[in-house]
Amino acid sequence: MKQFNFGDFFRKYMAWIILAFIIIVFSFTPNFFSAGNIINILAQNAYAVICSLGVAFLMMSGDIDLSVGYIMSLCAVTAGILNVQLQLPAVVTVILVLALGVLLSMLNNFLSRLLKLNRFMTTVATMSIYQGASYIVSKSVSIRGFSESFKAIGQARIGSIPLPIIIMFVLLIICSILLSKTYFGQYVYALGGNAEAANLAGINVSKMRYIISALAGALIALSAIILTARLGSAHSTTGPGTEFTAITGILLGGVSVRGGEGKMTSVFAGVLIISILTNGMQLAGLDTYYQFVAKGIIMLVAIGIDVFNLNRRQVVRKADK
Amino acid sequence: MGVILKLDHITKLYPGVRALNDVSFSIEEGEVHAIMGENGAGKSTMIKSIGGAISPTSGTITIGDKTFSSLTPATSAENGIGVIYQEFNLVPSLSVAENVCLGNKLGHKFFKSKSQMNEETTKILKSLGLDIDPETMVSALSTGQQQMVEIAKSMIKNVKVLIMDEPTASLSKGETENLLEMVETLKQKGITILYISHRLEEVFRISDRITILRDGTYIGTRYTKDTTRKDLIKMMVGRDIGDEYPKRDTKPSDEVVLEVRNLCGQGDENVSFQLHRGEVLGVAGLVGAGRSEMAKMIFGYLKKDSGEIYIHGKKTDVKSTKEAIQNGIGLVPEDRKREGIFLEYPIEWNIPIMSIHKLCNGIFLDNKRIKDTVDHYIDSLSIATPNPQQLVRNLSGGNQQKVAVAKTLGTNADILIMDEPTRGIDVGAKQEIYNLINSLVAQGKSILMISSEMEEIMGMSDRIMVFYEGEVTGFVDAKDFDQNRIMSLASGIQEA
Repeated sequence: MKQFNFGDFFRKYMAWIILAFIIIVFSFTPNFFSAGNIINILAQNAYAVICSLGVAFLMMSGDIDLSVGYIMSLCAVTAGILNVQLQLPAVVTVILVLALGVLLSMLNNFLSRLLKLNRFMTTVATMSIYQGASYIVSKSVSIRGFSESFKAIGQARIGSIPLPIIIMFVLLIICSILLSKTYFGQYVYALGGNAEAANLAGINVSKMRYIISALAGALIALSAIILTARLGSAHSTTGPGTEFTAITGILLGGVSVRGGEGKMTSVFAGVLIISILTNGMQLAGLDTYYQFVAKGIIMLVAIGIDVFNLNRRQVVRKADK
Repeated sequence: MGVILKLDHITKLYPGVRALNDVSFSIEEGEVHAIMGENGAGKSTMIKSIGGAISPTSGTITIGDKTFSSLTPATSAENGIGVIYQEFNLVPSLSVAENVCLGNKLGHKFFKSKSQMNEETTKILKSLGLDIDPETMVSALSTGQQQMVEIAKSMIKNVKVLIMDEPTASLSKGETENLLEMVETLKQKGITILYISHRLEEVFRISDRITILRDGTYIGTRYTKDTTRKDLIKMMVGRDIGDEYPKRDTKPSDEVVLEVRNLCGQGDENVSFQLHRGEVLGVAGLVGAGRSEMAKMIFGYLKKDSGEIYIHGKKTDVKSTKEAIQNGIGLVPEDRKREGIFLEYPIEWNIPIMSIHKLCNGIFLDNKRIKDTVDHYIDSLSIATPNPQQLVRNLSGGNQQKVAVAKTLGTNADILIMDEPTRGIDVGAKQEIYNLINSLVAQGKSILMISSEMEEIMGMSDRIMVFYEGEVTGFVDAKDFDQNRIMSLASGIQEA
């Protein structure tokens, strides 16, 4: 017999409970609850959700990547070079940029394995490399003049729903199924839970890390493409900061920094929390710099919740002895 | 002589668990007093209460003539209690002397005096008959030597009662011998010792009295010379378990299922042997003799340099763990928590993970077949759990081990390598594992059992292969089992 346990319930649906709470609070501000604003928030943040799906795969498998923002930056300006300067068609641009994202993310993994470092440290270094590369490629100027078909990725609507929202939900469903209904998903959790045991259980851990890196890289690149297409311009500052939103959102979504836990739908809720708070702060006319402070505090809260959950479990563990 | 330490009606409650239940007993000055009990009996909780790491919910602890309802680590130490936990409290990057003197200001209040520290430490090490340079970095010492440093550390604080929690759990045979001698030395110096262990052999050798705990409750105290192994096991388990090593009716066949020829790895190993259908081939040797490395090479986890492996007579080059599993080899690894199971995940997640790709429809998981598999193994291995959703870390060591075994059995391996299958699990659970081994062998599976426990390996094997420094020094048949012969092969003294 399983008893209802409030702690477990809260842990499982924490992101949705916080999200509901925030929506209730912001519903007192004028304009927040209009259909237009809701769609606007989703369309604005679809790219962040897509990026977070990729980063979530990494974090669930026990890795963390800080270079995500600059992978996006490099992807964005590369899209500009390809589509604007080289006049390549949108389809070709998208394929090449996706390939670049996959490559950069796999490079992070390759270097981590080569240096036998965790991905966290490796990406502190590659972050700087990708940042430099992005500014060199873009010559630090904003690239404009994307083709209409490229911009459509971020700006078209199907009915009254912007395309990015549709792409976001389709990917959310796919990633969710991939994680919970396939053995690939089981393996992701296995790596995050205990990589050593996973290896001895016959899972090719090294191959899995490359596959997860590739998947994350593709999602990160797609996120950059949608963001660039929506803005209609690419600059080296396009992207950086997304890693912050993603990691905070993922933590709020109940994924542990130690890996091995979490659900994609909760990650979605977690990212929405950040998005709505940002939107709410803008509507309330809060200065950008205060917003930075507020976001930092939210991240600390997210980490605090993660640590709290860990401690709670350790108390239970002690009690077992 | 008199009572130096007394526990009076000690109870410790954790949420949902009664870790200690009204425990009372006393320790005489100058004795070696062993505490025994299965996992979860409350031994660790009791030590932590005495050492001040936790406060009992009720009851009192009397040290000498002072009575406390709870202690802090500082008051406990002031009153002459020293505790050596299983995880050492040493700073690896500091020298032996710095560790021994840590927290004890010698000489000047602000500046430390290196010479004084070395001098003091040398004095203590000498009095214990130890030959360790006080300036050596602790990280450069072996586990056994580190433990000696822990003992030296408690000497500088003038301990009267030294509590040792499973001190030999991670020691090699030789180091264990040194430790047991050290206990004798300490006793000569008038130090009272509380020795926590579940190794019967050691306890019988060194203790004066033995106290048994079970499920947090005090069961009784016996004079070591007036009791027998069987009595103690009965007190610990709560029932008569019959033979420690259950008999097998089946005999191995002549069919060779696994043959290894001149297997070499990074070290200078060189291993050749044959494993027959229905056989338990014991692998004896000292810790670090290369047995686990050999197991991991056969299982494709470690790369072999040279040598050939024949599975069912066919030469097979196993390059990964996945290929090993495909070829019907299963490994239950040595370090359960680190290599064998996923502690933070439920039982129902752990059991099918090695065979999950077979429990799928296309790319999607087949939840019904997964559930059936899980239920089958919980049932057939009698894994004690309220439900399959229970996290594995909440299980006892024995049940964790059963989950690790179930996980491997799910691959339908017919050649099983079990590396220290009963390490750290209690007597009752050990016997269940032995019964399981017997029933697997009866089904025609073959088992390579690596074990450091001499009695276990002699009690369970059809044949024993002995390792010394990466090489097989001999094979011994069941009818010729003899502890001295195996030990001398394992220490390289005797050639087969």
